[in-house]
Amino acid sequence: MNAKHLFKHFVIGFCGVATLALTPVFVDTTPAFAHGERSQEPFLRMRTVNWYDTEWVGKTTAINEVTELKGKFHLSEDWPRAVVKPNRTFINVGTPSSVFVRLSSKVNGEPMFVSGPMEIGRDYEYIIKLKARLPGHHHIHPMFAVKDAGPIAGPGGWMDITGNYSDFTNPIKTLTGETFDSETMGTATGIMWHLFWAAVAILWVGWYMIRPMYLIRARVLAAYGDEILLDPMDRKFGAAMLVFVLVVVTVGYLAADARHPVSVPLQAGEAKIKPMPIKPNPMVVEVIHAEYDVPGRALRFQLRATNNGTEPVTIGEFTTAGIRFTNAFGSTKLDPNYPAELVAAAGLTMDRESAIEPGQTVEVNIESKDVLWEVQRLVDILHDPDQRFAGLVMSWTESGERLINPVWAPVLPVFTRLGA
Amino acid sequence: MFRTDEIIKAAKLPPEGVAMSRHIDYIYFIPILFVTIIGTFHMHFDLLAGDWDFWIDWKDRQWWPIVTPITAITFCAALQYYNWVNYRQPFGATICILALLAGKWVTIWAAWWWWSNYPVNFVMPSTLLPSAIVLDCVLLLTRNWTLTAVIGAWMFAILFYPTNWAIFAYSHTPLVVDGTLLSWADYMGFAYIRTGTPEYIRMIEVGSLRTFGGHSTMISSFFAAFASSLMYILWWQFGKFFCTSYFYLTDDRDKTTKVYDVFAYATLAHSDKAKLSGGKA
Repeated sequence: MNAKHLFKHFVIGFCGVATLALTPVFVDTTPAFAHGERSQEPFLRMRTVNWYDTEWVGKTTAINEVTELKGKFHLSEDWPRAVVKPNRTFINVGTPSSVFVRLSSKVNGEPMFVSGPMEIGRDYEYIIKLKARLPGHHHIHPMFAVKDAGPIAGPGGWMDITGNYSDFTNPIKTLTGETFDSETMGTATGIMWHLFWAAVAILWVGWYMIRPMYLIRARVLAAYGDEILLDPMDRKFGAAMLVFVLVVVTVGYLAADARHPVSVPLQAGEAKIKPMPIKPNPMVVEVIHAEYDVPGRALRFQLRATNNGTEPVTIGEFTTAGIRFTNAFGSTKLDPNYPAELVAAAGLTMDRESAIEPGQTVEVNIESKDVLWEVQRLVDILHDPDQRFAGLVMSWTESGERLINPVWAPVLPVFTRLGA
Repeated sequence: MFRTDEIIKAAKLPPEGVAMSRHIDYIYFIPILFVTIIGTFHMHFDLLAGDWDFWIDWKDRQWWPIVTPITAITFCAALQYYNWVNYRQPFGATICILALLAGKWVTIWAAWWWWSNYPVNFVMPSTLLPSAIVLDCVLLLTRNWTLTAVIGAWMFAILFYPTNWAIFAYSHTPLVVDGTLLSWADYMGFAYIRTGTPEYIRMIEVGSLRTFGGHSTMISSFFAAFASSLMYILWWQFGKFFCTSYFYLTDDRDKTTKVYDVFAYATLAHSDKAKLSGGKA
């Protein structure tokens, strides 16, 4: 066996092994249930939109039933330089196709059919009404889309839809008094016109297909010019076809105009949405120092907090990128329906768990520690050219009022346990 | 009725050659030419005018009637060159749009409906078939590509909006949702969630064409007609560039000639072929 044979066997064997190795890739048809939200860089998820109070109302919905996706968000003061400012934004829903039909979307009580500007540092509340359309187990996110920056995914929760798609209808009454069903309106007319014009076009091409088309005509053209090829019958047919098409287009236009005499252009305005009023907040916080402990999977920050109120205040939660880190106190305030995979219930520890008394200024060392930093790929913050974090610190007064303080700061990495 | 016998006789092919030429016609025309146009033109069209054609809430008065004909007339012009100049066949534009729509409907059924579950009316494509047939008719009747560029290309663009009004007029019916006036098309775009396509992505009703007396559609259509005319001329020349075949022949005195008659190549003696000095045939 010479070197050439050896090489051939090597190549064949290599191709065989490669085929075997790739086979599972091609036969694995397991559906993907999420949208790659973890692949969004941490600076996008942590430092743009700070989501809170997200609710997936009605975890199970029957076809045609209406449910809601609602919540609030704060546009971070630490908005990254790399992201275009939110001058044109749109509240969207991250779904695997249109499993729900969106009936209504309101931000701070204003309908948001078109995009509009929002203000950094302010809070907004959204309520999106959804009508169940496609049965299945679906991962649903609120999304904040910023023009020239892209969609920014909020926390994802599972919603189930039961029943049969064939039962779905979505009738809407128009201003002309007619009722249109969004699933079917215009489909039959559209298909009819497409089939009609396709038939006319096939007739036009077929007129030439029934005779020699290419080779023979090319030979004749090369040998004698086009005198023989230009059949008078073709010219008559062409003239007739021209008139026929013009007549049908005119009649079709006039008929459609008569059938739908009232029309408006597509609406392309701008949503003018005011932010939520700024709520008096007696708690003032400032991050003095922050670091991310790589081996410990923990973000630690030192917070200087002043309580200017009249009641003691207790810190219970730190949330960023839709992930909620709570201590024992904060976990009692958690919505039990919030996706468990986004909660580190005992992930928040502090060197000072007691309440901050009125008038008191304290420095608290807070550690948010959980494997979620890795699982949610937020640790990629360390590969960012602008290593910073942002989020919301939540605390409660003795009477149960929740205070929300946005926090942000540069993050210093700690790569070894010795440095911790 | 036709001059078929006369044409076949003039071709000077034996009966077997005539039969074989028909087989070649069918094999070439349907599996090769048609599918190639689907693959290339569909991609070209979707990259340039795709969103206006995919979504009902992109079909506005301004950009839809401009972008669609200008993008579509390109391959039509090139295919008209190929079919007309080489074979005097006046169906280049029609076959182009037929292939485009074949690809479109495969996409609508497979990608938009079966895979993504969007209703067909939401992703209904526009049709340019009447425009294409008229373009072909004008070429056949005038036998002149310059006149076709002026008359045919203008009609190609002008006819687009009235043709499609028959399909999409209903989508401009007004309705009110949450106290906001919308067209039916706007409502569809809002109701059927597109995760990666927020509302601001729509390029509709923007620009100064909207400012002339409210006749946006007319102005857009005439602008599209003018641009289509220019685009037709450009792509006719592309067709010419890609369809022109020739070879170089060197004679006994070492004089090299560029020969465009590629059929002459087949009639050359073997010894003459050996004298070819390159080029392509």
